[in-house]
Amino acid sequence: MDGTLTFLGLESSCDDTAAAVVRHVPGQTPLILSSVVSGQTDLHAAFGGVVPEIAARAHAERLDLCIEQALQQAGIELHELDGLAVTSGPGLIGGVLSGVMTAKGIAAGAGLPLVGVNHLAGHALTPRLTDGLAFPYLLLLVSGGHCQFLLVDGVEHFQRLGGTIDDAPGEAFDKTAKLLGLPQPGGPSVEAEARQGGPKRFNFPRPLLDRPGCDLSFSGLKTALLRARDSLIAEKGGITVQDRRDLCAGFQAAVAEVLAEKTRRALAVYLERRPAEPALAVAGGVAANEAIRSSLEQLCAAAQVRFFAPPLRLCTDNAAMIAWAGIERTRSGHPQQSDLVARPRWPLDQSAPALIGSGKKGAKA
Amino acid sequence: MTDAVLGFDTSAAHCAAAVVSDGQILASRTEAMEKGQAERLMPMLEEVLAEAGLTWRDLSAIGVGTGPGNFTGVRISVAAARGLALSLGIPAIGVTTFDALSFGLSAPVVTLVDARRDAVWLAAQDLSPMQADLSALPDNLRGRHFVGHVAEAAATALGGTAVAPAHPLAVAIALIAEARRGTPQPRPAPLYLRAADAAPSSDPPPVILP
Repeated sequence: MDGTLTFLGLESSCDDTAAAVVRHVPGQTPLILSSVVSGQTDLHAAFGGVVPEIAARAHAERLDLCIEQALQQAGIELHELDGLAVTSGPGLIGGVLSGVMTAKGIAAGAGLPLVGVNHLAGHALTPRLTDGLAFPYLLLLVSGGHCQFLLVDGVEHFQRLGGTIDDAPGEAFDKTAKLLGLPQPGGPSVEAEARQGGPKRFNFPRPLLDRPGCDLSFSGLKTALLRARDSLIAEKGGITVQDRRDLCAGFQAAVAEVLAEKTRRALAVYLERRPAEPALAVAGGVAANEAIRSSLEQLCAAAQVRFFAPPLRLCTDNAAMIAWAGIERTRSGHPQQSDLVARPRWPLDQSAPALIGSGKKGAKA
Repeated sequence: MTDAVLGFDTSAAHCAAAVVSDGQILASRTEAMEKGQAERLMPMLEEVLAEAGLTWRDLSAIGVGTGPGNFTGVRISVAAARGLALSLGIPAIGVTTFDALSFGLSAPVVTLVDARRDAVWLAAQDLSPMQADLSALPDNLRGRHFVGHVAEAAATALGGTAVAPAHPLAVAIALIAEARRGTPQPRPAPLYLRAADAAPSSDPPPVILP
């Protein structure tokens, strides 16, 4: 035994059904043997957001198909695997349950160990899959469902330095697109419009910049955009193409500036630890936005911190990150049976105060 | 390898599993539970297999309840069945609650399933699955035999006869799957008789001026 681990990963916590096979030989770069993602954008398009029940219905009938495809593309059979990893939270519980039960069925039938993985840990450990980053590094997770700064100290050790107290930026991009009659997903369509617009015409707020710390807020920005749009409509009965470009540019500039400033503060906290090879990594679909990415790159260059952005297909939801997290957790000797209980809420940093969903059921993420 | 078939169901407030072979019931178990099926199902399957003196490798097919029923509950079993089928290389066969409850009864029956919200889902040989309000059961069902949820009340309201199912749910599912095993079956999929609760977005996009 040379310690090689080959894992199948499953992901179904939001609107992507995914399966992937990852192999790791100790001391070598991990190999993604396959990564299948079946999106559901078309199913939810009419509703202006992900409908949990529709997502769950799709996951339940697509997971095994994705798995078969992933195994075939990897040229591997189940009995050649060393284990399975599945997202067991946080996320939309119907989809998470479908994934966990499919995984339990496979694990039982194939006699394979099964590891429950926190979806956020999957994102947070991706820079080690793609770039072999050493701990500790700073991660900005910025997606349609999440926005947080995580100080990644180890496979099981995450410290949340801050995060959004309401919407995630990806959600704000989607809502902006919807308010302006642009196609979903909103990230790419708003970015394309913004490229041709002027960012200074509309003066959008920079929420929470006046307060210390790394927490963020995006719901007020969305409201400001709605007000600006409505005042244009009140004035002339609609908005022009150029109005729309300027609104997008103004909105994107506000998001980029807020993210850059909060990242600067998070970096300062991180650098106090004097890491040997300081690094900031981003994850999540919003990291694909060029304006946001370039402002973060500039920030890192000035602070002499290396900047890592995994390729988009590994930034957005995928199962390779779950397989990888399963491998990492197995190597660290930490997998627990209790991690296989599907849960909608599961913050990575259990000690940080709740930002969202702090009711009796506890913090969301 | 034997010819055994494992059947299971979590479509309502229970977790049920059974093993059959050649029409004989080798093990059967039903536990009432409001929640926790996702944690209980796999251990229960291993228990009924052990009780039958079998292992996973002895199975020739899986039978799974596809509802109608609790959406999440149905998916728990269907997802597990599809995972088991994939790893064992055997077919997973979906069986509706309608087929399972009416299985083995001598007289034609109207099968009723709890649809919550004061409604039932019902089906019969000559009646496609449909949803009906408990207070307004279709009049053309007058005088029929009823099985399943509120069968007694339906029989009283419509002047029919209530009958009990011939087998526990999971046993019926396993027996039906065993009977269907010889012919190709589609992958099991939940039977939803109610659309997802979601309304298309109502805000119109802004008028784009030239």
